[in-house]
Amino acid sequence: MKTTARIAVPIILVLAVSLFFQGHNLPGGGFIGGVLTTTAFVLVYVAYGLDYLEAGVLDREVDPGTGIFEHRSVTAYRRTFVLGLTIVVGSGLAGLLLGGSFLAQDYVILHDVPIYHEVELASALVFDLGVYLVVVGGLLTILSVVGAE
Amino acid sequence: MSFLVVAPVVVAIAGVVLAFLVSRWPRVQRATSAATGAVYAGTVATAVWRLVLGPDAPGAAAYQLGGHPAPFGITLVLDGLSAFMLVVAAVVGLASITFSVVFVERDNQRVYYHPLFHCLLLGVTGAFLTGDLFNLFVWFEVMLMASYVFVAFYGGARHTAAAVRYLVLNVVGSALMLLGIGGLYAVTGTLNMADMARRLADPAASGIDPAPVVGLSALLLVVFALKAGLVPFQFWVPAAYTTAPLPVTAMLAGVTKKVGVYAIVRLYFTVLAGAAIPVDVLGVAGDSPLSFLAPVLAAMGVASIVVGGLGAVSRDTLEGTFAYSSVGQVGFIVVPVAIAAASTGQLRQIALVAALVYALHHSLAKSLLFLSAAAVSDATGTNRVRDVGGLAGRSPVLAGAFFVGILSLVGLPPLAGFFGKFFVFDVSIRWYATAPGWAPLAVFLSLLAGALLTIVYTTRTWTGCFWGAETPAVEGSVVDGRQLAVLVALAAVVVAVGVGFDPVYRFAETAATAATERGDYVEVVFPDGGGAA
Repeated sequence: MKTTARIAVPIILVLAVSLFFQGHNLPGGGFIGGVLTTTAFVLVYVAYGLDYLEAGVLDREVDPGTGIFEHRSVTAYRRTFVLGLTIVVGSGLAGLLLGGSFLAQDYVILHDVPIYHEVELASALVFDLGVYLVVVGGLLTILSVVGAE
Repeated sequence: MSFLVVAPVVVAIAGVVLAFLVSRWPRVQRATSAATGAVYAGTVATAVWRLVLGPDAPGAAAYQLGGHPAPFGITLVLDGLSAFMLVVAAVVGLASITFSVVFVERDNQRVYYHPLFHCLLLGVTGAFLTGDLFNLFVWFEVMLMASYVFVAFYGGARHTAAAVRYLVLNVVGSALMLLGIGGLYAVTGTLNMADMARRLADPAASGIDPAPVVGLSALLLVVFALKAGLVPFQFWVPAAYTTAPLPVTAMLAGVTKKVGVYAIVRLYFTVLAGAAIPVDVLGVAGDSPLSFLAPVLAAMGVASIVVGGLGAVSRDTLEGTFAYSSVGQVGFIVVPVAIAAASTGQLRQIALVAALVYALHHSLAKSLLFLSAAAVSDATGTNRVRDVGGLAGRSPVLAGAFFVGILSLVGLPPLAGFFGKFFVFDVSIRWYATAPGWAPLAVFLSLLAGALLTIVYTTRTWTGCFWGAETPAVEGSVVDGRQLAVLVALAAVVVAVGVGFDPVYRFAETAATAATERGDYVEVVFPDGGGAA
C-alpha cells in the first residue's frame, strides 16, 4: 500500500494540475482537478494515517488529545474552503468592476515565453482556482472528519 | 442598471462568504449576518422599484451572466412575477435571520448556521430569478443542500431520521427533475425558458415535435409539487418542519415552498402554455399542456386542503399544527392556479392574482406563527398545546402578534388573509359560473371545508395556549423583548398589507400579467428578436 502510494501520489498530483490548467477550454477544470488532488491526499491518509501529513511531512508535533475538529490539518482545510469561496465570488465581481458583466471572463496570449513559446493566460483560471480550493478544502474536511470516526 | 437583476444573487452569495470569513468572532458574525439580511432586502427593494414597479421602470429586465448572449449563456430575468416572489423572500428572510440571531443558542449559531442561512436565501433568489431550466435545477440543489443540514441541525435521532427521509425523497426528486429537463432539452433543443417558449409556440419553424412535452412536464410537476409539499407528496413536511430550527422553518414554509408553486406557474404559464398539443387527462380534453395541469393540480390542491386541515386539527404541538396547516394552505394557493389553467382571458388573470395574493399572505402569516411558536417555546420550554396555557396574561404582546397571525390565516378583514381567502372564493365561484359542473362545485365545497378546518385548529391553538389559567410551564416565564420586536414588526406587515391593499393588488396584477404574457418575456430575453431561432 505504501509503495503504491509513493508511486501513484505524484502522478495523480501532476495529472490534477494539468487538468486544472487546461480546464477553461478543454475537458478538465477546477472541480475535476480538485477531486483528483483530494484522491492523492486520501491515498496518503489510507497508507500512512491521519497524522502523517502533520508529523511526517511538515515535521510538526501532533497533539493526540484534541478532537478532529481542532486537528491542525482540518482547520487548514476549512480555511482553504473559505479562501476558495472568496476567490470565486471575488473573480465574479472583478468582471463587473472592470466594466464587463458579473462572471465575465477574458484572456491574453503571451508570446515569446521561454520554453513554452506561447502561453494563454485566461481570467477564467482565477475562478477555476477558487473552485479548486473549495473542492479540495471541502472534500478533505469531510473525509478527514468522517475518516477519524 | 441591468446589474440590479443580478444584485440580489451577489448580495446573498457575499453573505455566505462574509459569514464564513468572520466566523471566528461570533458577535461580529451575528451582526454581519443580520446586516446582510437587511442589505439583501434593500437590494431587492431597489431592484424591484427601479426595474419593475417604479414610474419609469422598464417592467422587466434580463441579465446575461458573463456576457454570453442568450440562449447560449445563463440568463437571469427579473419580471413582475419574479419581483413579487423576491419581495416575499426578502421580507420573510429578514424577519427570520433577525429572529435567529436572538433565538438560536449562541453555540449552535457558530456551527455554520449563518453561512447556511444565506445559502438557503441564495438558492431561493436564484430559483426566482433564473431564466434557464437547468440553472433552475442548480438553484434547487443549492437550496436543498442548505435545508438538508438545517433539518438535521440539532443532531438528535428524530432529526437525523427526518433529514434522511427528506434527503432520500429530494434526491429522487432531483433525479426526476434532471430527467424531465433532459427530455425537454432533447425535444426542444434549448434550455433557455424564453427560447423554449418561443420554439414551442411555433414548433414548425424550429423543426421540433412538441408532443412529448406534456409527459415530460408531468415529471417536473411531480418535483415541483414535492417541493411545495402538495398531497400526495406531503409526507416529508411535518417531520422536516418540526425538526429544523424554528426560524428556518419559517423560511421553509414561507419561502422555499413558494419556490415550488412559482416553478409550476413559470413553467406552465410562461413556457409551455403556447404549445398546441392535444391532451386528454381524466376525461378532460384540451389542446395545451395547461389542460393537463388543470385537473391534476386541482385534485392535488383539494386533497392537500383536506389532508392538511384534518392533520392540523389532530396535532398536539404548535409547530406540528402549523406544519400540517402549511400543507392545507398550499392547497389554497394551487387551487386558483388550477382554475387559471382551466380558464382563459380575464378569469385566468384574476385566478393567478388570487394565487399570488394568497401566497403572499401565507408566507407572512405562517412565518409569523412559526416565529411566535419559537418565542413560546423559548419562554416556556415546551410547545405542547396541553402544557401551555394563559400566555395572554403573561405576555399580551406575544398574544397580540399570534392573534394577528391566526386571524389572517382564518381570513378576517382587514388583514392580508382576508383578501387572499376572498379572491380564492371569488375565483372559485366565477369558475362555477362560467363552467357549471360537478368539478367546480366539489372544489368550492372543499375550499369551504378547508376554511372551516382552519377556524377549528387556529381556535384550538389560541384557546389552548393563550387563554385559561396559567400552567406551571407558563408561570414565571419571560418572553424575550427582542424576539417580540421582530414579531410585532412582522404582524405590522400583515396588517399593513391588508389595510393598504391597493398597491399590493396592483403588484400582484403586474406579476400575474408577467406570468401569462409570453411575448413580453421572450422580448426581454431576446431584445433584437433573437435571430438564431
